[in-house]
Amino acid sequence: MRIICKDLSFSYEPKKKNTAYALENVSLTIEEGEFFGIIGHTGSGKSTFIQHLNALVPLQSGELLVGEFDLDTKNKQYKKNLKALRSKVGMVFQYPEYQLFAESVFEDVAFGLKNFYPELSLKQIEQKVKYAIELVGLNYYQIKDKSPFDLSGGQKRRVAIAGVLVTDPEILVMDEPVAGLDPVGKKELMDLLHSFKKGNKTVIIVSHDMDEVCENCSRIAIMQGGKVVKVGKPSEVFTELPDENLELPVVARLKNALKTKGVEIDCKLESDDFIEEIVKKYKERNGR
Amino acid sequence: MDSRVKILLLIAYFVAIFLVSNFWGFAVAGAFIVLAILFARVPVISVLKSVKSILFLVLFTVILNLFFYSGEYKVIYWQVGDFIQITDSSVIFSAFMALRLTMLVMGSSLLTLTTTPVELTDGIESLLSPLKVIKFPVHELALIMSIALRFIPTLADETERIICAQKARGGDFESGGIAKRAKAMIPILIPLLVSSFRRAEELGDAMDARCYSGSKGRTRYKKMKIGYRDVIATVLVAVVIFLIVYFNKIFVGII
Repeated sequence: MRIICKDLSFSYEPKKKNTAYALENVSLTIEEGEFFGIIGHTGSGKSTFIQHLNALVPLQSGELLVGEFDLDTKNKQYKKNLKALRSKVGMVFQYPEYQLFAESVFEDVAFGLKNFYPELSLKQIEQKVKYAIELVGLNYYQIKDKSPFDLSGGQKRRVAIAGVLVTDPEILVMDEPVAGLDPVGKKELMDLLHSFKKGNKTVIIVSHDMDEVCENCSRIAIMQGGKVVKVGKPSEVFTELPDENLELPVVARLKNALKTKGVEIDCKLESDDFIEEIVKKYKERNGR
Repeated sequence: MDSRVKILLLIAYFVAIFLVSNFWGFAVAGAFIVLAILFARVPVISVLKSVKSILFLVLFTVILNLFFYSGEYKVIYWQVGDFIQITDSSVIFSAFMALRLTMLVMGSSLLTLTTTPVELTDGIESLLSPLKVIKFPVHELALIMSIALRFIPTLADETERIICAQKARGGDFESGGIAKRAKAMIPILIPLLVSSFRRAEELGDAMDARCYSGSKGRTRYKKMKIGYRDVIATVLVAVVIFLIVYFNKIFVGII
């Protein structure tokens, strides 16, 4: 599913005069199968933007198409489409572990499934829940009857993510997915996202960690004060500092530092190809 | 103004409003509260807003009293059955109730608009301090109040976020009958409860870490002092109460 967004503006107090806009004329197209990153510091409008994708905030002005769904509230199909849209766009909020509520992990993961597809039989539900729990790397039989509140922090987050993945969304949106995770947990979560994306699904992550975004995303949008200031591949976006509150990723900083020393490195800013490129340069120089 | 004085004067004002038994009294009380609002330089709109929030309650009491008030009456305007009737006294009584409620809310909103929650709880703590003699935990009570006030916006934010998250998982909170809606609240209430326990524990730890040990030997950031404004206000309220009682005496009857 493709996301097309044109001149999207949003204010939390639309009636006020000279109101502050959380989003201002945001135009953005996210293609199917992209691993898209949105970065910006607090208050840049990134969370407001992703909430639009799931119609959690009503469209105020501009256009937003998510796949075949038109999110214009004047659209007659709007209310009818809400459930279908939300089943296709999975949304994982910041600290998703705080949304767990059910008596057992199974019930919690099945919550979304039962809401979106009430016609499913128990067997089908079991099958899908098992798939989702295993997808996030947990043992289904060990965990399904436990109370979600007895789990460790990392396990809780996985269960919460499984609760979103269980409906098999086409687009997965994650707000600060790795906040508060240890390095191993971060790596595992990113690997999970990459494996999820393989079925030509779109993954959108919101973050303020430049390195994480630079390493994982195929395209990036930088937001600032409710506007999209830059969009493109990591190597295009991370050329210079867009905002004094943001810092370039380590790789980009290294690249720039080497450039001032007279070493031009041509790479896509993904850490592996950066290292390869450096090794190549080094060999070239020594060969001379 | 000193928050203790404000609280006491508000109580006195409430008593005065309930003492009123004719429209002259209301005129005095009304003039006083309007003057007070103007002198406090509170935006009139915010006072009106709080009045607006109880508009439904006011209408409700007015309508009930209008039809069901059963005092002595001279004229019946409209009657259905034995109990439902509009009489001259029911009209006047319901007008009284409406005025009373509105003025009560105006007074209390004046207090909350001019006083920060910290000042308010400090004031209450200081006013209740005589109760310490009977080992009543006054300081703790004030602390509980200020924490509760402090966490209202936090919990409101949290609720908003949880609602969003459950909506994204297909939770439906807007349709169905009462039973279905009540059941739909479970996925919101449980995470909210869990997170407030977590917050309470964290807050307790943070307070321990900063060596909080209750009221003993604790000093205040803001000392409360009674100034000339407090004296003037007290005199004014006394005059208002006197006038109301006086008018009650000389204008016997309702108008």
